[in-house]
Amino acid sequence: MFSRLTRVLAPRTTAHAHCDIPCGVYDPQQARIEAESCYKIIQKYNESNDELFRARCINVKEERAELTKHHIDVMWHDYFKPEHVEKFPDLHEVCWKASKQASQVKRTVDIAEAQKLLDLIDKIDHMWRETGGPGSTRMQASA
Amino acid sequence: MRRLFGVFAAALVFSLGAVAVIGRIGRDWEARVSVRGHSMEPTLDDGDWLLVNPAAFRRRAPRTGELVVARDPHDARRVLVKRVAAIGTDGSLTLAGDHPAHADDGSAIGAVAADLVIGQPWFRYWPTERIGKIA
Repeated sequence: MFSRLTRVLAPRTTAHAHCDIPCGVYDPQQARIEAESCYKIIQKYNESNDELFRARCINVKEERAELTKHHIDVMWHDYFKPEHVEKFPDLHEVCWKASKQASQVKRTVDIAEAQKLLDLIDKIDHMWRETGGPGSTRMQASA
Repeated sequence: MRRLFGVFAAALVFSLGAVAVIGRIGRDWEARVSVRGHSMEPTLDDGDWLLVNPAAFRRRAPRTGELVVARDPHDARRVLVKRVAAIGTDGSLTLAGDHPAHADDGSAIGAVAADLVIGQPWFRYWPTERIGKIA
């Protein structure tokens, strides 16, 4: 009920109070690497009996999942353009689910949830590649 | 009879006032924005939801010290919220953040042409504990 209310109230436009100039460099691998960290941390958590180690795992996972979410949101808000949505009508749905899934990974130590997150990021990666992302948003290595 | 007229007049004034308020909120509702980033602290926090008056600068130009919502001159799809730090002789704006570490944002953003200004944020409606007019 509350979340439905906030969805209605939420602005559709983001007004940036950053000082940064958009650099134009985007790559879903940034999100993927953080999400892989979450995956591995959950594995290590489940294999360990050391309470202190497990507590640290939770801590680091929280942090990595937040970074994953941030990088997903940057792709969504800053990289993707309306013409990309025309090409991939489920673009918003996928980004939204991925962002939500990153929150889900914060909450759980279920490895399947971490795998779901990786799969969603791979979908974003696919859309990024199909819209010419690698050529237009990454610098090419100088020989 | 006279008393009835008084009541009637009061009701009329009240409903006209209500219509004006609702009308203004309705108009600004279309231009509401959420704040992202920390450069406008302590005035605006990351995550604040604001009503923006799109008519604020139709009859006059923004003045130094006023808050504006404007399109990013480097990326028209991006919207900025900043304070006017200076106005050039050609009418272009230099914008800055309120946070001390962001006082020289203007040099990073560059001159912002007056026609990139979308409106003036004037009311914060979220979070509930900070609802109110924005200075």
